[in-house]
Amino acid sequence: MKRNSLLLLIIVVLIGVGVAAALSILHDGLSARAKPTALEAMLAHKARHLAIPADARTMTNPIPDNAQNMEDAEMHFADHCATCHGNNGGGDTMYGKGLYPKPPDLRLPQTQELSDGEIFWIIENGVRFTGMPGFGGDDDSKQDSWKLVRLIRHFPKLSMDEQMMMEKNNPKSPDDMEEEKQENDFLNGAPAPKESEAHHHH
Amino acid sequence: MKLRWLIGLLGVLALTASATLGHGDEKHVIGTLIKVNADSVVVKTADGKSVEVKLISGTAIVMRDGKAAKLSDLTTGEKVVIHAKPKGDTLEASEVRFSPVPPPVK
Repeated sequence: MKRNSLLLLIIVVLIGVGVAAALSILHDGLSARAKPTALEAMLAHKARHLAIPADARTMTNPIPDNAQNMEDAEMHFADHCATCHGNNGGGDTMYGKGLYPKPPDLRLPQTQELSDGEIFWIIENGVRFTGMPGFGGDDDSKQDSWKLVRLIRHFPKLSMDEQMMMEKNNPKSPDDMEEEKQENDFLNGAPAPKESEAHHHH
Repeated sequence: MKLRWLIGLLGVLALTASATLGHGDEKHVIGTLIKVNADSVVVKTADGKSVEVKLISGTAIVMRDGKAAKLSDLTTGEKVVIHAKPKGDTLEASEVRFSPVPPPVK
């Protein structure tokens, strides 16, 4: 009897959530620009936790914490990750805002409270049903991923100088490079470009 | 195992509930500084418009060669390139890059 009641309760809850979801879709559509609800965020965190194998959580970082490894990680992150996560790990980027769910602010406890092994596993394997790809595959990637773990630990105290250095290594389209050249030329004495108050989608 | 399936199913259903969130592109403001305050600057652009850009705690102020600088290094008459994010009706600077005015020749 108890089991039947529980089953009935689960079915009612599922139907209720389904109806609420259907009404929400009819009303708002399914824009990836939307902000996930608290329930979704909670479920996503639970699902992410369950997705990481138990033995991965206890892995320790074999990469020494030194300046060279930090610089390697910063340049790597600027080139491969900052498009979505931002150079400071905050996720406040055009692509980040357009993803569903949004990339987490890597400086906050939600990420910082993960173990080194969990962060490493996420970099290597990605997170299903999100924009986070898995970058693993070979021993070189493992080295890079462990260096990135060091950088993620460093994000809460990343300096402005470090961010400026990283900016130089961000991917640039031909339009971006032309725009940057015009701006540098202007600062070096050339006349201002025609569009001196322009939108930029970088 | 059943718990995983249940959480997964609830997750898929809940993922469909949504609320809109606006987003704004970055803007580049290029011109000459005509006003500098502690919390904002005004730039005169090539087409003669005056554009006010707010300075926030995260605003990076750098010289044209990329070296870090301070707000006190900014003076009117300097050429600036400002990367700013629209926030409502205002612009918030993420970076102000400037070319110092050369000292007058004696």
